[in-house]
Amino acid sequence: MKERLDSHRLSNGMVILGEPMADVESASFYFLVPAGNAHYPEGCSGAGQIISDWLFRGAGSRDSRTLIDILDELGIHRNSSITAENLSVSASLESANLPAALDLYADILTTPLLEDDQFEPSRQLAIHELAGLDDDPQHKVRLLVTEQFYPAPYNRPTEGKKDDLENMTADVCRRIIQRQFDWSQCIFSIAGKYDFPAICALLEKRFAHLSGTGVERPAAGSSGQQYTHEANEGAQVHIGLMTRVPTIQDSRYYEIMAAVSILSGGMSSRLFTEVREKRGLCYAVGARYQSLKDHAAISCYAGTTPEQAQETLDVTVEQFRRLREGFSDEELHRAQIGLKSTLIMQSESSAARAAGVAGDYYYLGKVRTLQEIRQKIDSVSRSSLLAFLNDNPFDDFTVATIGPKPIQL
Amino acid sequence: MIFKHRQLENGLTIIGENHPHAQTTAMGFFVRTGSRDETPEISGVSHFLEHMIFKGTDTLNWQQVNEAFDGIGAKFNAFTAEENTVYYAAVLPEFLPDVARLWSQLMRPSLREDDFNIEKNVILQEIAMYKDMPQFDVLDQARALHFGSHPCGNSTLGTEQTIGDLKVEQMRDYFSRRYAPNNLVAACCGNLDFDRFCELIESICGHWKPAQADRSLSVFEGTRQRKHIQKETLARHHICLISPMVSMQDPRRFAASLLGMIIGDDSGSRYFWSLVDPAIAEAASMQAETMDGIGAMYSYICCEPAAAPKVADIIKGIFSDLSRNGIQEKELTAAKNKVLSAMTLKSEQPMGRIFGLGFNWVYSRLYRTLADDIAAVRAITVDDVNQLIAEFPPGLYSCLSMGPDAQENPLF
Repeated sequence: MKERLDSHRLSNGMVILGEPMADVESASFYFLVPAGNAHYPEGCSGAGQIISDWLFRGAGSRDSRTLIDILDELGIHRNSSITAENLSVSASLESANLPAALDLYADILTTPLLEDDQFEPSRQLAIHELAGLDDDPQHKVRLLVTEQFYPAPYNRPTEGKKDDLENMTADVCRRIIQRQFDWSQCIFSIAGKYDFPAICALLEKRFAHLSGTGVERPAAGSSGQQYTHEANEGAQVHIGLMTRVPTIQDSRYYEIMAAVSILSGGMSSRLFTEVREKRGLCYAVGARYQSLKDHAAISCYAGTTPEQAQETLDVTVEQFRRLREGFSDEELHRAQIGLKSTLIMQSESSAARAAGVAGDYYYLGKVRTLQEIRQKIDSVSRSSLLAFLNDNPFDDFTVATIGPKPIQL
Repeated sequence: MIFKHRQLENGLTIIGENHPHAQTTAMGFFVRTGSRDETPEISGVSHFLEHMIFKGTDTLNWQQVNEAFDGIGAKFNAFTAEENTVYYAAVLPEFLPDVARLWSQLMRPSLREDDFNIEKNVILQEIAMYKDMPQFDVLDQARALHFGSHPCGNSTLGTEQTIGDLKVEQMRDYFSRRYAPNNLVAACCGNLDFDRFCELIESICGHWKPAQADRSLSVFEGTRQRKHIQKETLARHHICLISPMVSMQDPRRFAASLLGMIIGDDSGSRYFWSLVDPAIAEAASMQAETMDGIGAMYSYICCEPAAAPKVADIIKGIFSDLSRNGIQEKELTAAKNKVLSAMTLKSEQPMGRIFGLGFNWVYSRLYRTLADDIAAVRAITVDDVNQLIAEFPPGLYSCLSMGPDAQENPLF
């Protein structure tokens, strides 16, 4: 199938992108605004959690209850997420309901009611969710290691900090919205079944008059400790581990993806084979690539019983380090097949495509075609991957553990 | 969209739904076996066996199996529940024969003792992992409480004790009874050639011998017991309520799933407005789980320990209001729209569609198109749901909670 990308820029700079899909009745859209966690003033970590809930408590002429009722009546599956850099809200729905849904989302994003009496429950929910992390050590260890790995303020936990959430006020959050919802930097994407001119006309009417606020990405400070441990009398030791790699803009991005895939792409991958299959050390072990605009990592998680925690960490780190010693042609081939197959599977999901299109534009300033990605995956060779691994030998790890006792790096 | 099915002489059923424009194809084996088919001494064997399937056959070792899946870029996995063990994969259409051949071969595993001993550790790790996840632990223990001695209360994972004591011979014996061809359905969905698929399955599985693979079905109303477990290491109060509901074979299952959505969807439901929106609980959900000849409604609520009494009062209030006044037309319309749009979105990918397709056949020997399911949901009336509430009052539940505090008297 020939790929098509629709694109348009509103007069205020907001970018509209669309990727049509054949044979579907649904559509997904995605708004990305530069209102992530690193952008907030000091002492405001977690504000994004509150804001993404508060926005849906009434907008335009509709109070909280009416708004949710209408979203539900339209059968909209909604989502929102916060990273260090961005806040995104997205929706998947039957294509026929698109105009009504977009109109509602325009209200939610540009004229939310942000009432005082609705602020408190949003803040309380954020506090509860943060407290709930203590019962979810697998998730919590990822936040712990992220906090040590990335330089400040890109290391802030998206769930926030207890003191920050407890001191947060409605006014502070309103100011963050006012400043960070910079529509000149907003990226809107849509995938599935849609009418592009109609979408553009609707967004033009609702967003084009809203100007930019001059948001800039904050400067990066210093990173945290190499090892952190949090005591917890659970059944398992949870290990989070991160190591630095180039960002998605780097020309060796596909070499990184191949390396991650050899390490953790499937059940024949190094981590699964060595840690779980041969030694039975873990049920869950895996690594993935994650990137911000200027910083990127391979992030790894393993959960094991306390007696086996040290061996699990040692074997895991060894797998990273041994990669530079070489790999078989079959391993590289499986990695390439796995990456291409993932790509095609994602192309069948309008939600995955809408997020992918917006993400590409944010990181790269353009949207890669699936064809282009396929070619780049195929162009990774034994020598290009070895050259990358020579330059990036995975010598440096940031580690966090949650469990009964610490382990040795 | 064209549906075809065929039954081999040994009882193995093959079903396929062709979507000629799909870019991928999903395929899976549905084995009608799970924890409810286990006796206490082999508790956890179905799930352990699911892991052992990946350890290979007489001609394939575990490494070759893993490499074979990864070599065709398959997105594959398996899961074990109370009454099904499902092995599935999505691939590009040209790899359907490869993945179908692989799964078919794996349905006759070697179950080698050395693999068994290594994998036992992985299972013990998995049991430890779920112990650190109270949101799962509370559900598992609530199920045991609600179903009492009924086999639907059996734990899928088993315990450290039962897994530790399990012998490979016991697993082989269980396998020979439960993985008989007459207890298996091979399903595929997406861009495919059904006749070629059937030929392939028959060439590998056609000679397998059928066996007795019954399941005792008995209706059970639940124990309606209450239990609180104090765990000082927990930060939050986790609550699970279970009440009886219709079975998967009952046409009212669509009304049951709408009722679950009206009470406990994560947006706009009764739980949402009275618990989550005012920030009394951070999570509150209810859903229908319709099973073989039996069914249940499951609620899960998570809140700060001090809020638990308030949560209990609110939930009791919701249930008594539903029993007194029933649901409103508006709630039903919203629930329908949400269910319909979820069904549509899910079925746009073969990997989303394969489960509905397979389970319909496993439970009812029925093919239902997406359009059939949509029509069934659309046809539900307020009266249908209210009759369900009258017959299965949500207030007649079993309740298990877990939290850092002690509790003298049950809150719920």
